[in-house]
Amino acid sequence: MQESIQYKIFKVFNVSILLLIIFLTLYPFLNVVAQSFSSEAAISSGEVNLFPKGFNIDTYKTVVADSMFWINYKNTVVYTVVGTAISMVMTTMFAYALSKRRLVGRKALTVFAVFTMFFNGGLIPNYVLINSLGMGNTMWAIVIPGAISIYNMLIMKSFFENMPEELEEAAAIDGLSQYGILLKIVLPLSKAVMATMILFYAVAHWNSWFPAFLYLDQKEMFPVTIYLRNMIAGATGTAAAGATSADNLTQLAANIKSVTMVLTILPILTIYPFVQKHFVNGVMLGSIK
Amino acid sequence: MATGFKHMFRTFGVVGLSAAIMVGCNSGGSDSASKETAEPSSKGAMESYSVGDTFKASEPIDLSIMYSDAPHYPIKEDWLLWKEIEERTNVKLDPTVIPTSDYEQKRSLLISSGDAPLVIPKTYPGQESAFVSSGAILPVSDYVDKMPHFMDKVKKWGLEGDLDTLRQEDGKFYVLPGMHEAVWPDYTLAVRTDLFEKHDIALPTTWDEFYESMKELKKHYPDVTPFSDRYTFNSTLNFAAPSFGTKAGWGFVNGLSYVPESDEFVYAAATPEYKELLTYFNKLVKEGLLDKESFTQDDDTAVQKFVTGKSFAIATNSQEIVSYRSKMDETIGEGKYSISKITVPGGPKGHLMAGSRLENGVMLSSAVKDHENFEAILQFIDWLYYSDEGQEFAKWGVEGVTYTKEDGVRKLADDVNYNGLNPAGTTDLRVDNGFSGGVFAYGGTTDLLHSMMAEEEIAFQNAMKETKTVVAPEPPIPYNEMDKEQVTLISTPLKDYVDSNTLKFILGSRDLSEFDAFVKELEGKRMNDYVEISNKAYQEYKKTQK
Repeated sequence: MQESIQYKIFKVFNVSILLLIIFLTLYPFLNVVAQSFSSEAAISSGEVNLFPKGFNIDTYKTVVADSMFWINYKNTVVYTVVGTAISMVMTTMFAYALSKRRLVGRKALTVFAVFTMFFNGGLIPNYVLINSLGMGNTMWAIVIPGAISIYNMLIMKSFFENMPEELEEAAAIDGLSQYGILLKIVLPLSKAVMATMILFYAVAHWNSWFPAFLYLDQKEMFPVTIYLRNMIAGATGTAAAGATSADNLTQLAANIKSVTMVLTILPILTIYPFVQKHFVNGVMLGSIK
Repeated sequence: MATGFKHMFRTFGVVGLSAAIMVGCNSGGSDSASKETAEPSSKGAMESYSVGDTFKASEPIDLSIMYSDAPHYPIKEDWLLWKEIEERTNVKLDPTVIPTSDYEQKRSLLISSGDAPLVIPKTYPGQESAFVSSGAILPVSDYVDKMPHFMDKVKKWGLEGDLDTLRQEDGKFYVLPGMHEAVWPDYTLAVRTDLFEKHDIALPTTWDEFYESMKELKKHYPDVTPFSDRYTFNSTLNFAAPSFGTKAGWGFVNGLSYVPESDEFVYAAATPEYKELLTYFNKLVKEGLLDKESFTQDDDTAVQKFVTGKSFAIATNSQEIVSYRSKMDETIGEGKYSISKITVPGGPKGHLMAGSRLENGVMLSSAVKDHENFEAILQFIDWLYYSDEGQEFAKWGVEGVTYTKEDGVRKLADDVNYNGLNPAGTTDLRVDNGFSGGVFAYGGTTDLLHSMMAEEEIAFQNAMKETKTVVAPEPPIPYNEMDKEQVTLISTPLKDYVDSNTLKFILGSRDLSEFDAFVKELEGKRMNDYVEISNKAYQEYKKTQK
């Protein structure tokens, strides 16, 4: 097929603009990776761009040797796995029930759920609630309160609604119970949306730090995001400026910060490309009826 | 400090609601509160406890404490610090660990939700006001008579005036501040002394001389802008302002400046002194001596310029200059440069230095009042934070274990290192033992403060002490609930406006001849109302003190 001149010109522009965008988004990330392998001197004189300068892996060794880093890392993995599992079970149940038109009070339940997308009790009441439920300082405070993301639930609900009803009716005639239908018919047919949801939830849990900061008081229970945040924001932040207490002002080396960042994003980074194709599919699901 | 205040206002919003419900209106609370003060429970307390005594509880006490966990010396359970505190005082501390990065936020959350630990350290003066109206914080000034070391230090060092700055509307104070024997200046300019020597330029002692020396350097290095500053210039404005007779930068805070002659407050940014300060720095910018980016660049960029020889002067403190040096050893090469802190230059008003002898300190949750060990806890706090023994312990550790003392000179033990004081040491005083950390170690005598400083820093401290006169602390302006809200509403936009115009005037994008117009604009933003409310609040406060 012969391409017109205009189309060729368009393609050149298109590709170069896209390349530029790729570079712009990729650069900060590559810069952090390069910094993590560079010597502190090279970083402080601003010589590190895309490639490491004054190659060093000592910092990696130091950070990896910090037991607290690994304890927190393990916590993040546990919270992510448990949190995602709980979220998936709860969200699927809720979404499936709501997708059935014959459900009594369906509308009220939907409104009830959507309401929480816009309004909530506020920070302090939430905190008091969680603590009086006895969940303070336990893993449950991290994984339960946010178990159902209404946005995800709605995506799932519209996916289920699009499933041919005849399929389920046929299964019912063949003697499957309602639970059987969900487990044996609906779920196996929903792999795309499930993969997307798992990814959504897992990434959210991996990156989250605020609930942990709010509800946990013990270092041994913190996820690695708090470790990282304290490292980066703690030494430079807030009260330190202008305070006379010199103690606050010791900054951690840029090198250590970047090493921790790289180690923290590594797992998500390795998994993401493989699940990514479901991602786009999944979000589009149910967008056309 | 500046951000601290901003935060205070933010917290106020959060606490405001609950506060309104809980207390409604607490004006005139001073007499009702004193009636409520029942005889404090003295279980576990020492019967006779006075200056010089070591506190030891007569029965074991568990004490909850908020702990700000700094990333460069993460908390460890097996620190000698915990063990030794328990052994000496019979008090077992139970820390609620909060990462330093979000300490303030969680602190207000815990206090507002009523779940706060009894002891709340690392509270900067001013931050406590947000919690006063909720009644969640103990008005500790009612109980300082149980704290002999605290009282002793206040009397010995003449800190009554400083403490007055903490008083709230009811005339009480709610935070036990860290106290220094003398004002401790830390921030100043660092300059490339090797270049000063090379071109035979004397180190500047006044701002005019500083201008001349920068001009001289510019002559030799026409491509270089010799002064490129960090902290978005707020630090330099802060330490320059007193000698111009005003307030600016970090020290601007609420913008009110006390004039002793007329016994009233004025708005600092509207004074001729402020204009003079702006004019001076504007001159530096105009002649290419002060980098225009000083006001916007981040600290790393500014430091980068300095350590790579692209600028010759930058703001610093005692810690940062050490880090400049280690960077310059790599970038310029050891021995090929020399830098030093200079004594803060004097200005038109002479050699003045502002500063508080108070720093961050301890709040107590009001729940502590009903604790059966209330008195013992007060004695414990008094010992740990205010006795000479407690302060030395928090800073240096255990004599004979982490340090030795001969003829009053303290020295780290052979195997202990701290900040490079004893490079041969294998364990770190702070990281491995928990001493000299920000939660417990601050304040104290000048002798104790200097005991861990490098010689260069001590020389700077002494030079500052010799040349500078300390500006007296300003009286407090305790607003009532209504006024507090008003004042926040007026002063925040006012300060924003001052900040942006300060920048414009110095950079020259607004001509200084428009300064009068600027003052008019401030008046348009209700500056006069603000000053009036503040002066009224101050006068009312003065009445309560008589």
